[in-house]
Amino acid sequence: MRDRFTSAQWAGLTLIGGLIIFPFVVSLFSGQPVGEGVPKFWQGMLIQVFILAVFAMSYDILMGYTGILSFGHALFFGTGAYTIGILLKHAGWDLGSALLAVIVIAIIQSLIIGLLSLRVSGVYFAMVTLAFAQMFFLLAEATDFRQWTGAEDGLQSIPVPAWISPTTERLRFYYVTLAFAIVMYLLARQVVNSPTGRVMMAIRDNETRAKVLGYHTLTFKLIAITVSGVMAALAGAFNALWNLNANPAVLGVGTTINALLMTIIGGVGSLIGPMLGAGVIQLLGYWLNVFFGPSWPLLFGIVYILIVLFLPYGIVGTWRLRSAGWLAMWRERSRSLIRFFHHP
Amino acid sequence: MIEWIQRRRGLIAGIVAAILFAVWASSQYEPRVLASILLSGLTLGALYFLVTSGLSLIFGLMDVLNFAHGTLFMIGAYIGFTLYANPRLLLNTLPFVLAFVAGWLLARWLPFSSLPAGHRRPLWVVAVLVGVFAVWGFELAPLATTALSSGGRVPTEQAQAPVGIFIARTLGLAITGLIAGAAFVIGSEHARRPANRDLAWPLGLLALALIIAPLRLSAEGWILALDSNTRFLLALVAGAGGGAALGGLMEWSLIRPLYSRPIYQVLVTLGLVFVGTELVKGIWGPGGYFMELPAWFSRRGPSCPSPNLIAWLQDNCASIDVLGRPFPSYRIFIIALGIAMFIGIAVLLRYTRLGMIIRAGVQDGEMVQALGINVRRVFTLVFALGAGLAALGGVAAAPFLGISPGLGQEFQLQAFIAVVIGGMGSFTGAAMGALLVGLARAFGDQMVLTGIQLPWMSEAMTFSPSIARASTVLIMALVLLLRPAGLFGKKE
Repeated sequence: MRDRFTSAQWAGLTLIGGLIIFPFVVSLFSGQPVGEGVPKFWQGMLIQVFILAVFAMSYDILMGYTGILSFGHALFFGTGAYTIGILLKHAGWDLGSALLAVIVIAIIQSLIIGLLSLRVSGVYFAMVTLAFAQMFFLLAEATDFRQWTGAEDGLQSIPVPAWISPTTERLRFYYVTLAFAIVMYLLARQVVNSPTGRVMMAIRDNETRAKVLGYHTLTFKLIAITVSGVMAALAGAFNALWNLNANPAVLGVGTTINALLMTIIGGVGSLIGPMLGAGVIQLLGYWLNVFFGPSWPLLFGIVYILIVLFLPYGIVGTWRLRSAGWLAMWRERSRSLIRFFHHP
Repeated sequence: MIEWIQRRRGLIAGIVAAILFAVWASSQYEPRVLASILLSGLTLGALYFLVTSGLSLIFGLMDVLNFAHGTLFMIGAYIGFTLYANPRLLLNTLPFVLAFVAGWLLARWLPFSSLPAGHRRPLWVVAVLVGVFAVWGFELAPLATTALSSGGRVPTEQAQAPVGIFIARTLGLAITGLIAGAAFVIGSEHARRPANRDLAWPLGLLALALIIAPLRLSAEGWILALDSNTRFLLALVAGAGGGAALGGLMEWSLIRPLYSRPIYQVLVTLGLVFVGTELVKGIWGPGGYFMELPAWFSRRGPSCPSPNLIAWLQDNCASIDVLGRPFPSYRIFIIALGIAMFIGIAVLLRYTRLGMIIRAGVQDGEMVQALGINVRRVFTLVFALGAGLAALGGVAAAPFLGISPGLGQEFQLQAFIAVVIGGMGSFTGAAMGALLVGLARAFGDQMVLTGIQLPWMSEAMTFSPSIARASTVLIMALVLLLRPAGLFGKKE
C-alpha cells in the first residue's frame, strides 16, 4: 500500500510550511530584518492567532463534537493564565513545572465544574457555567487576594524565561506557539477520531440513544470537558506568557464570546474551522479597528448575528456543503471553455 | 404522615434552614440592623424579580433562554433616564421610527403581493439606499451628549436640525418603510388586504410623526417643565414601553426564524448583548450617568426622616425611620413596585385568557396550537411583556444604582442564579429565587461592612464586596447538588 496524502493533508502541510517560512517572507517583502519592525509585528499577530486557535478548537470539542453549550469557557482559559502567572511570579517555579501544574489544575477544575454543572443539561448548563465563570471573574477582581492576583489591575510583568521572551526572542516564541498549535490540533484530532470521540458525537446526536446503547454518558461528557478544559488552560497559559500579564478580563464573558464567535464563524463541528475562525476574527478585528476606529465591535456583533442567521455552518461547514457543487460548476465551465476553443 | 414528610422534604429542609438562619441572624445583629438588611434584600429581590419573571416566562413558554435580558434592562434604564433628564434624543428619533413603521404597515394595503418574487431583492436594496439617504448626516452623538447634564435644561438650538430637513427625513423614512414592507409582502401567499378601517393605524402613526416633528422644541420644553414626579412616571412608562417594543421586535425578527434551531436562538441573544452594549456606548458614550431622585423621594429637612410610611405620604422625605434607623424611601418604592408587578402578573396568569393560554403553552405548546390558538402571536406578546418588565426594572434601578453600559451584566448574572435556584419556567420559583438572591446579597453586603464572626474565631474575618457578589454562585451550586431542577422546578 502506497503512502499517499489526501488533498486535505496536502493543504494542511502547505499551510504549515507557509506559516514556517512566513516571517522570512514578510521580512523579504518589507526589507526589514526578521527580528524587528513589520515582520516582528506580523509574528505577534499570528502568535495571537495560534493561541486563540487552540482556545477556539477546545471550545468546539465541547460544542461541536459533544453538543454541550458552555458559556463559561473563559474560566479555563483565565485559570490557566492566572496559574502560570502566579507560579512564575510568586512561587518562582520554572516554566516546565508551571505548565505541568496548569494541566493538573485544569484537570481538577474541569472535573469539579463538570460534575456540578452536568447535573443540568442544555441551556441550563450554559447558564450554570456562565455563573461559575463569573464567580472566578469576581474572585480575580477581589481585593482580598491582591498580593497574589493583583486584583483589578491584574498580574503584571510575569517573569518569562529569557530564551522564550516574546519581546526579545519573538521569532522563537512564534515557532513555539506554532508548534503548540500543531501539537494541540493533532492531539484533538486523535481524541475526536478515537472510539471515545465517536461516543461524544453519539451523545451530541442523541444522548438518550447513547445511553440506551450502554454508554455511561456522564463519563464521556466529563472526558470531553476535561480535554477541552486542559487545552483551553494551556492556551490561556500561553496567552499570559505572550502578554506578560493576566488580568480579570481573561476570565470575563468577553473571552467566552470570543471563542464562540471564532467557532461559529469558522464552522461548528470541525477542528480546523475554529482555528480558521480565530485567524479571521483576529485579522478582521485588526482591520476593522484600523478602518472604523473604536466602533468596530458593533460591526463585529452585527456580522456575527448575520452569520448565525444566514450562514449557520460557518466557513468550513458551508465549504463542505457547497464545495462539491462549486467544483462541479467550475469544472463544467472550464470544460465548456475548452470545447469553445476546440470547436469555434 | 411519613409519606407527606417525604414528599415535602425540600420544603421542610428549606423552612428549617430559614429558621436556623433567622436565629443566627437575630443573635448576630440587633433588630434595627436586621430590619434594614431585610429591607435592602427585599429591594434587590424586587429588582431581580422584574428580570427573572420575564426570563422565566419566556423560557417556560418558548424554551428560549434570553441572554439579552440584562441588556434590555440596561436599555430600559437609558430610555427612562433620557426622557427624565433630557428627552431631546427621544423626541428627535421617535418620528423616524413612527414614520418607518407607518410606511411598513401601509405596504399591506397596496397591491404589492401580486408582484413577481424576483422583485424582492432589488426592492430591499432600494429600501436600504433610500433609508441611508434619508438619515445621511443625521448626528445622533451630539444629541446624546447633551444628556450629560442630568436633569438640566440644555440650549435648544444646539444639535437641532431645521424643521424642514427633519420633516423631509421623516417622510424619507416613511417611504423606506413602504418599500421594505413591499419587499416583505411580495410572494407571501397568505397576504390578504386588511380591512379599510384598520388603515387608521398606519395613517395615525404617520400623522403623529408629522405632528411631533415641528413640535419637538416645544415638546421638550413642555416635558422638562413638568414636575419631577410626573416626569419620573413618564420615564417608567416610556422605559417599559420602549423595552417591550424592542423585545417584541427582537422576537419577531431574530428569534422567530430560528425556532427550528434552538441553540442558534441562544447564540443570537448572546450576540445582541454585544450589539446592544456597543450601541448604547456609541449613542450615550461609555461613561455612566447619575439619575436624580424625583421630588417624592428626595426631600430633606428638619422633620426628616419621616417617622412612618403614612407620614412620608405628606412630607416626602428621602428616608423613612425604620426602628430608629433611616431607610431610603425610594427603596420602599422599588419594593412596592416589585410586589405590585408580582400581583399583576399573577392575576394576569390566573384570571385572563392570555394567562390561560400562557399556562397551557408552558405545559404543552403543540396542543395549544392544535386547538387553533395563534401561538406565534402569544410568543411575541410574552416576549414583549418580559422585556417590558426588565426595562421597567432598569428605569426603577437607575436612580438607585446609576446608569452605565455594564448595568445589565450584573443583573443578568444574579437573575440567572435566581432562576436556577427557583427553577426554570416556574413563576413562583422566579419570585422566590429573586427574593433569596436579593436577601443573600444584602446579608453579604452587611458582612462586608462588619466582617463575619463564627463562634470559633477570635476576631472577625473581613472580605471585599467582590466575594459577597461571588458567594451567590455558591448557593446556586448547593441547590444544584441537592435539587438540580431548582426549588420549585418540576423534575424531568
